Amino acid sequence: MFISLWEFFYGHFFRFWMKWVLRQMTGKCELQRIFDTYGGAQRTYRIENSLTCSKSKVLQNATRVDESELDRCVADIMKEKNICPEKDTSFQICMRTCLLQITGYKQLYQDVENVRKKPYDSGNAQHEKLLLKLWSLLMPTKKLKARISKQWADIGFQGDDPKTDFRGMGILGLINLVYFSENYTNEAHQILSRSNHPKLGYSYAIVGINLTEMAYSLLKSEALKLHLYNFVPGIPTMEHFHQFYCYLVYEFDKFWLEEEPESIMYFNLYREKFHEKIKGLLLNYNTVLTLKT
Amino acid sequence: MGLLSILRKLKSAPDQEVRILLLGLDNAGKTTLLKQLASEDISHITPTQGFNIKSVQSQGFKLNVWDIGGQRKIRPYWRSYFENTDILIYVIDSADRKRFEETGQELTELLEEEKLSCVPVLIFANKQDLLTAAPASEIAEGLNLHTIRDRVWQIQSCSALTGEGVQDGMNWVCKNVNAKKK
Repeated sequence: MFISLWEFFYGHFFRFWMKWVLRQMTGKCELQRIFDTYGGAQRTYRIENSLTCSKSKVLQNATRVDESELDRCVADIMKEKNICPEKDTSFQICMRTCLLQITGYKQLYQDVENVRKKPYDSGNAQHEKLLLKLWSLLMPTKKLKARISKQWADIGFQGDDPKTDFRGMGILGLINLVYFSENYTNEAHQILSRSNHPKLGYSYAIVGINLTEMAYSLLKSEALKLHLYNFVPGIPTMEHFHQFYCYLVYEFDKFWLEEEPESIMYFNLYREKFHEKIKGLLLNYNTVLTLKT
Repeated sequence: MGLLSILRKLKSAPDQEVRILLLGLDNAGKTTLLKQLASEDISHITPTQGFNIKSVQSQGFKLNVWDIGGQRKIRPYWRSYFENTDILIYVIDSADRKRFEETGQELTELLEEEKLSCVPVLIFANKQDLLTAAPASEIAEGLNLHTIRDRVWQIQSCSALTGEGVQDGMNWVCKNVNAKKK
């Protein structure tokens, strides 16, 4: 009750007056003070908050601006805030970078969501080709005898036809599996061979699809912001999302072996534990989660 | 029914916990059904490795629903979850005709399990939203359900995706919770 009352007064009155006092003292607006004080993800994060909380429509809309109108938007902000480009030479560059990161994150979520929504389609030659590519990447010495085959279980699909395993993750699940196998082939082989361990084993492919879900929901809940703001000094792309997925796969395998679960039946318990661990790491302003082999 | 027994029923009803086991082949729709029961988002479900459990309040019961992964590799683990089961819900993908035989075999084996003897069984003929889905009557015939004599059973057509038929099935569950012959 007191907290919500405080938040109301802070948001509506104190914030405004505090900003006014600080402005009179320093001669700079909040955005400029953030640029002076902070760097890295914290800077972008604070700029984003400041813009979102602003009463000015120009500033509010800046977090949703299209890339083609970015330069005009930065100029509008400088006009609105009476920032002279000659006096504050770096403002324009800093603001531009921040806006690329902020709007880029939103766009990345849309892009990922569009791929996720595409279900795996056996009638689509591209999808089929990608699926067979996954087999040959993971099993270079073994030939797949037929498209519908019990062999799929060897790389951790549930039944004879992997298509039903992609489910809610659609083609995104397959693209991630292929990306990891292609770019980290040695690691993928190592993890696959470990995942066939009689006691500590797990189903490689469907665990991968589960981890795609984890990466997706972290992106959706905006938990990936600090990581991406630190990691990408511009617009984040699908590539960066795939790389984060690779980090999860690699780290989950390590985590699973260290925890020594009783059996695969406890997967969800450890998945949740791992999820909490990752969420904790993502709260750090300096966080950058990349796969280090 | 006397006043006393009504009062007793009112008092004890909310506390009754029911253990429900959700089984079926992989891709039958068990997790979607579980999430539908718990009114959760069903748009990004992934294959179940291991199991999920959720508690749902329904008609004065606390339903503890265990959703166990259906892939062949983990079916041997099913039996570790049989103990104290009040109701068995068996889910079938009505559109996956190629696997009717496999799913029938698994069901037959379940019904022969000693730890599940006399446990009422509800069969959900799921995915009725698909045009290729077989009707519940056809599935009942194919699985020879009419030969089940040792317990109460019911087949209910449903779509876990749209929610259609799910509530009807759960009404049957609540009615037959205490039908387990000791």
